[in-house]
Amino acid sequence: MKVLLVEDEKTLAYEVEAFLKKAFYICDLAHTARQGLEKIECNLYDFILLDLGLPDKDGLVLLEQAKKHNPDAAYIILTARGNIEDRIKGLDLGADDYLPKPFSLLELQSRMQAISRRKSGMNSQLIPLGEFNVDIQKRIVSHQENEIELTRKEFDLLSYMLLHKNRVLTRLQLSEHIWGSFVDDDYDSNYIDVHIKNIRKKLGAYGPVEWLETVRGVGYKIKKS
Amino acid sequence: MKLSTKLTLFVTLSKLAIVVFFILTLPYLVDIISATYTDNLLRQKRGKVLDVVAREGIESYLDGQPSYGSYTLLKDEYIALAPVETDLQLDTIETDERVLEGDTLSYRLLSHTFKTREGTFLLEIGRETATISQYNRPLQRFALIVLLSLIFVTLIIDLFFTHYLIKPLGEIIKEKLVNQQFPFAKNQAPIKTSTSDFRYLDSSLMLLMEQINEAFEKEREFTANASHELMTPISILQNKIENLMEHTEVSDLIQQRLSEMLRTLSRLKKIVNSLLLISRIENEQFAKADNVNIRALLGEVMEEISHRLEEQEIAFEMNFRHQFSFNNANHDLLFQLFYNLINNAIRYNKKSGSILIKDDYSKGVYSVYIKDTGIGIPEEELPFVFNRFKKANLSQAGGYGLGLSIVKSIANYHRIKLDVTSKVNEGTTFSVIFP
Repeated sequence: MKVLLVEDEKTLAYEVEAFLKKAFYICDLAHTARQGLEKIECNLYDFILLDLGLPDKDGLVLLEQAKKHNPDAAYIILTARGNIEDRIKGLDLGADDYLPKPFSLLELQSRMQAISRRKSGMNSQLIPLGEFNVDIQKRIVSHQENEIELTRKEFDLLSYMLLHKNRVLTRLQLSEHIWGSFVDDDYDSNYIDVHIKNIRKKLGAYGPVEWLETVRGVGYKIKKS
Repeated sequence: MKLSTKLTLFVTLSKLAIVVFFILTLPYLVDIISATYTDNLLRQKRGKVLDVVAREGIESYLDGQPSYGSYTLLKDEYIALAPVETDLQLDTIETDERVLEGDTLSYRLLSHTFKTREGTFLLEIGRETATISQYNRPLQRFALIVLLSLIFVTLIIDLFFTHYLIKPLGEIIKEKLVNQQFPFAKNQAPIKTSTSDFRYLDSSLMLLMEQINEAFEKEREFTANASHELMTPISILQNKIENLMEHTEVSDLIQQRLSEMLRTLSRLKKIVNSLLLISRIENEQFAKADNVNIRALLGEVMEEISHRLEEQEIAFEMNFRHQFSFNNANHDLLFQLFYNLINNAIRYNKKSGSILIKDDYSKGVYSVYIKDTGIGIPEEELPFVFNRFKKANLSQAGGYGLGLSIVKSIANYHRIKLDVTSKVNEGTTFSVIFP
């Protein structure tokens, strides 16, 4: 997967790049709209991540131009502007998603994955997880022939952890993924724990769930080779 | 009392005082005038008598008699000539009493001595003073009537004139103070008046409003810019920590510390985001084009938030009896408004407490009440709950702070009124009153 990140804030760009590389993406950087356009003209990307507040050009204008050269790429707008008009305009211009800054890198990856799934069509693929199989597309968890019923939020949690397997996810990161901007300051509240407990209970009835680990004081992680 | 009434009253009273003073002094004035007039008259008569004596001799009066006396039929005037000792010299006018045929009467008397061949004579000419002052009373009454009616006429003129004069002041108060809604409209028309004081007041008020607007504008601009500028470093920090956490060599302890840092950072993010949201609402950057069914909206909010009710074991009751659609609103903002209120109701509730949401439609006003059985807000803090960064019950975790500020901004933006009543340890009721 090839990604172009157009972001004028260099420090931020390097962090995103480091993260994406670790997630096995090939990442190109551009710090101005001009640089970005040059790269878009001679390369084909799967993802183009666009900052709207570029020094030389409005990101939305760049989006329009980039679409001509790279119509198949998935476009994600990253911006600190965050007003609704920009969002609507961006999505109207053909952006696939919109992440307001500051965003979590995990969330970014999750959105990218969701877009890839959407773009790659319906050919669903089963991800093995211990004795279980997870179909992200159809949102099904199964144990041999048995489908296990999870609530929407439980499934979201499970698939998010699965996407970021072998990585500790804090309660905050998990709740932000599920409840978005409506999360409060009181993360210590245990509603994530309640959901995790339910997942363990539901899946535990069919088979061992020791792959779902609790990291004391931090959060949870799915351990998977 | 109104200024015009006061002015008119003052002017009228002072006029009345002058009139009363005039009426009271009228007899003295009349006395002085008539005395002067009578004295002149007496002197003229003395001149006439002396003329006659000089031309025709004293005998023409005395006619053989030693003295002469004559009075009019009603004794209001008399004249007397009598010989006196030679060395007496008199020329006075005074008021004195004389007895004429048994009647004692008060006269204004001119006494004058003059010499002739026949000897020195005293001429006395008298005029009854009663005839002089007898017109005082009717004069007084007449003057009173005339002056009072004059006062009445001027009173009406004064009323109209002061009303006309003061009118711009009323307009200034109405247009520039009472009818003003914050933020003030720009480039307001000055009130038309030829009174320079009012023009000055008007322009001062407009200047003041402009200054307030400017200060407010600056604050809004600052909030928007600062929030925006803060987002980038927060982004960098968050992403750096996230990347750091993924390093396999990071120990559990550091992992834990890093997650705490993320948490703190997220709090910072929330604050900045809230400030940004408030400034955007205040800058009217949200479209108000939705038609929102409040009942359905609260259903959506509850769907989002109900998991927290279960967690806190809070009994929840929603009692809606009306279908109310709020036009020209922003659905997302209203969602946020109710979300924040209900979220507070949950957060500040007691374990196994309850929340009641009900609506009411009376006198054309639709309201929604959110009632909790929480810790309540002390009475002295009630006026501040919607203020930015003010926090009820500081010992509690979290804050009413920005959550309620956002509620307030959204409410203002939609011209929704908010009301809050609370009792410590019993609970709080927020009322959302739709326009």
